[in-house]
Amino acid sequence: MRGLLTSRYLVAALAAACFLVFAPLIPGIATAGNLSNLLWNMLPLAVVTIGETFVLITGGIDLSVTAIIALCSVTGALVMNGRNGYLAGSAAAAPAAIFAMLLAGVLLGLVNGFAVTRLGMPPFIVTLTTMMFFGGFAVWLTRSANIDALPPAFNRLSGVGTLAVAVVVALAADWTLRRGIFGRWLYATGMNPRASLVAGVPVHAVTIAAYTVSGLLAGAASVLYTARLETGSPVLGQRIFLDVIAAAVIGGTSLFGGRGTVAGTLAGVLFVALLDNSLNLLGLSFFLVLTVKGAVILAAALLDSAARRVLGEAVE
Amino acid sequence: MTPLLLLDGISKSFSGVPVLREVSLTASRSEVLGIAGENGAGKSTLMNILGGVIAPDAGNMVLEDRVYLPRDPSEASARGVAFVHQELNLFPNLSIAENLFLTDFPRRRVLGLPLIDRRSAAQAARRLLDAVELPLSPDTPVERLSQGERQLVEVAKALDRDARIVIFDEPTTSLAARESARLFAIIERLQARGAAVIYISHALADVRRLSSRILILRDGEAAATGPAEEFTEERMISCMVGRAIGQLYPARRPLPPDSQPLLEARGLAHPGILENAGFTLHSGEVLGIAGLMGSGRSELARILFGLDPCERGQILLSGLPIQHLSSRERIRLGLAFLTENRRDDGLLMPASVLANLALVDPRSSRLEPVAARVGVRCANLDRQPVRQLSGGNQQKVALGKWLVSQPRVFLLDEPTRGIDVGARAEIYRIVAALAAAGVGILMISSEIEELTGMCDRILVMRRGEISASIARPDFDREQILRVAL
Amino acid sequence: MLAGCGNRTAGTAAPTIGVAFETLQTEYWVASRDAIATELKKRNLSMLEAIADGDANRQFEQVRNFITRRVDGIIVVPKDAQTVVPMIREANRAGIPIVLFNRPPAKSDARSVTVVADNFSIARDTVAYLAEEALKTPGKRQAAILIGDLGDINAIARRDGFEQALKPHADRIEIVSRIPTEWNQEKALAGITNAFQAHPGIDLIFVSSDLLLPSVVSALKSRSRYFKAGEPGHVVLGGFDGDATAYRMLTEGYLDATGVQDVGFDTAATVQAVIDLKAGKPVPETVLDPGFVIHQGNLRQAAPRMWGAGIRK
Repeated sequence: MRGLLTSRYLVAALAAACFLVFAPLIPGIATAGNLSNLLWNMLPLAVVTIGETFVLITGGIDLSVTAIIALCSVTGALVMNGRNGYLAGSAAAAPAAIFAMLLAGVLLGLVNGFAVTRLGMPPFIVTLTTMMFFGGFAVWLTRSANIDALPPAFNRLSGVGTLAVAVVVALAADWTLRRGIFGRWLYATGMNPRASLVAGVPVHAVTIAAYTVSGLLAGAASVLYTARLETGSPVLGQRIFLDVIAAAVIGGTSLFGGRGTVAGTLAGVLFVALLDNSLNLLGLSFFLVLTVKGAVILAAALLDSAARRVLGEAVE
Repeated sequence: MTPLLLLDGISKSFSGVPVLREVSLTASRSEVLGIAGENGAGKSTLMNILGGVIAPDAGNMVLEDRVYLPRDPSEASARGVAFVHQELNLFPNLSIAENLFLTDFPRRRVLGLPLIDRRSAAQAARRLLDAVELPLSPDTPVERLSQGERQLVEVAKALDRDARIVIFDEPTTSLAARESARLFAIIERLQARGAAVIYISHALADVRRLSSRILILRDGEAAATGPAEEFTEERMISCMVGRAIGQLYPARRPLPPDSQPLLEARGLAHPGILENAGFTLHSGEVLGIAGLMGSGRSELARILFGLDPCERGQILLSGLPIQHLSSRERIRLGLAFLTENRRDDGLLMPASVLANLALVDPRSSRLEPVAARVGVRCANLDRQPVRQLSGGNQQKVALGKWLVSQPRVFLLDEPTRGIDVGARAEIYRIVAALAAAGVGILMISSEIEELTGMCDRILVMRRGEISASIARPDFDREQILRVAL
Repeated sequence: MLAGCGNRTAGTAAPTIGVAFETLQTEYWVASRDAIATELKKRNLSMLEAIADGDANRQFEQVRNFITRRVDGIIVVPKDAQTVVPMIREANRAGIPIVLFNRPPAKSDARSVTVVADNFSIARDTVAYLAEEALKTPGKRQAAILIGDLGDINAIARRDGFEQALKPHADRIEIVSRIPTEWNQEKALAGITNAFQAHPGIDLIFVSSDLLLPSVVSALKSRSRYFKAGEPGHVVLGGFDGDATAYRMLTEGYLDATGVQDVGFDTAATVQAVIDLKAGKPVPETVLDPGFVIHQGNLRQAAPRMWGAGIRK
């Protein structure tokens, strides 16, 4: 039992347990169709949560990811939409739009990174402010309207394309965190920025890079969400922030920094998506769903933190 | 005369591991009982039992002829046991007066409502501060005080309680010589007042000087006890360690005359911090820096390393000017810096030994050899968090991470602060070996013995200036102190 | 609580309809949801419910869940006109009939049925009544409209109805203020307050939804211009939807008229559309609810059909 509690796979095990508990109560849950839905639901959330994990590891937080998703969505739609997009009708529309969306994500991430390192204000405040700026800008750009008529080539990304993107992102992120020097620097910065600075870790550059990665992956997630809904929307992803943080925290990423893994985050995303899906399928009243979700997430986070504290395992 | 405090057969275990085994001691009025022991010998546990933080598993305690078994620290305090802890219990955001009277402010009633009587609080605080000779306003926020000044506030807190027994736990680790002298005078005054003083410290010379009687703890047992006259420092060390440790400071050959200058500072000046500081450090030399707190030693080290800017002056590494380089670039050129406070900026506490050793040079494959070379003792190099290690082992890790990249110049700021004698000896050995290999070492320390034991030359800093440079043949403890003042 | 899942026991033949709402944040949606639930029960259909809480992505996942569970029909209140299109497409691919409630989708090749109030006509008729009342007093009138969310096709239709109704009276009624509110009460209050500053003489106000009435009342009260119909200084006031606030204000006399979305009609038509589609019968792409105007003149007769009248406050 002790071994299970310390195991990195605690959350994945919890998710499996949840699944087994719900399976008899919900006839449709174990069907191939539902499992497939579950997987597709997970993928964009996993991409943006992995980005957020990078920032959380440095001890910061990026509240603006949802606004970045919205602004990137609108940016891409403005480039490629068939009615009045900049590249309307051209074969290059979809690839150019995707490039624009990712570039927008990188630029917005850089803004966050520079603001946090240069202004010396808590990341919470900085990214709260940028969230309002980016979100407001997206709404202003489109005058609150959605942009549809996206090229079919782009919309088709919502199938296998999404899986490919998610897999590539997960593998690259995992390699970076576990093997790359940048990964070591991220964890060091999160655990003790002063000691890291003395030891020659480029703390400012690492922090900026973390926010840039978060922005880039939010842009990538935006591509996936936009393709799924076939619409560029200035309010896309508005409500997912709590899911992002819940998934990260349940997956073992500490809000204080210095801890977090891609595998853990994926387990957390699985857990949150599964929970959402199960509660949905149970047909509970809306308010009950929110309450149950909150309670379960809280319990899972507490369990994870207690297990680690009791066992005093070394991190990373 | 019956002793004021009597402990008889105190035992304590944690999770089945015995930490104290039937320890007995007595403390009498107007006497100082000195307690020495390595980390892990059980000193903290014993003091926690005395202070009411934990309860013993077996044994009795008698204070002033009454049974003494405090359930919590406030009960201990009420019985007249006062504690001045090593880890200070002050709130930096509050003022001195607020810290002193946090749990019992003098009050007055206005319209029936109890309000804090700030004036009498200030007066009472003033009186206590005078008793410890700290000439600061009671309204000064504690965060503005130096470590030494904060300790004096802690002592004042203890005095306020009109304590019967005052326990000092490692009180001089952060005090410079002058502040230590003040502290000793206070202890003498406490003795005169009839209090019993228990003095726990790694500074064995101080323990010998102050104590009437000495108790040595080793592995949870009372290894030796008796009047202070019966203890030499060597005997104390061998009782603490359980074996003869021989020389604390390794023998060193004098510096060859053709030693190359390695690090040169010329005319370094920065308003309020340094004033025309200059020196030359040679290859293979151990250069000490003595001085009081606030004389600018740590600031000089930070400027040499590149963490802080310097308005004027030059720094040359083997003739190459480096004052415009970032600290990262200086590390690449071979500089290393062991900071004053390993907890704050020397270690990643939640990470493992190997992760910490890899902090400066992540690509190195020499981590495990370095761990062996510095002699880190821990359960698991890869999975145990450094937080769980003793102070001495932590310091070895903090030092070891620099050795991975084979530095040419090593700046050490208080390298043996708060660590036990066994680990200290090992660190001195490492430093001597580095010097023998040609590394230039700059050692900042508040312990004159350490400097005279290890260094080829000692610089004395005073108010941001280097006021003297004393060569080995001329080492004299009193003289160095005088210059520092 | 678990009633939703209890309905679906193994081997039951009762068909299930998936009902996906964008939100339950206003009385109108709550009343509609309750009405749909009642109607489905009446027709022996069991209901699976999902609320998206304003998030298009969540709605997408919820609709897809319905499809996976092989429901017999889907009723959806879309978050917006565009994002619902891929959802309709998936339902089409699975051969499940899908009916949109209250909001039409954007033009596309996806096939669905929408039941929606004839916003344009109802608004036009309501404002026509308001104009009649206003013109009873001699002289010129100044009119203002609080528009809903400019991205909401219903809001646009209502605005157009307002304009259309006032066109023939352009000589005596001047439209001095068009206030966008994004369906937000704070924005409405700020907007109408500013409008009064600029044009203190406004004496005809139309709100595109009754949920904005409290904001207007607050502004009128602070300018001491809140009077009942028939009293001197009364500002002619009209709304749209037919909620409980409107009903109260009508009975008290402060509100002149409101255009009512006939929730009874809408829900019956929606459920019927689902049944018909399932049976393979042809159903028009849009089913319009003609609604009706309730005003001081027909209050007693029309009240029973007004959904807000039945809500106890």
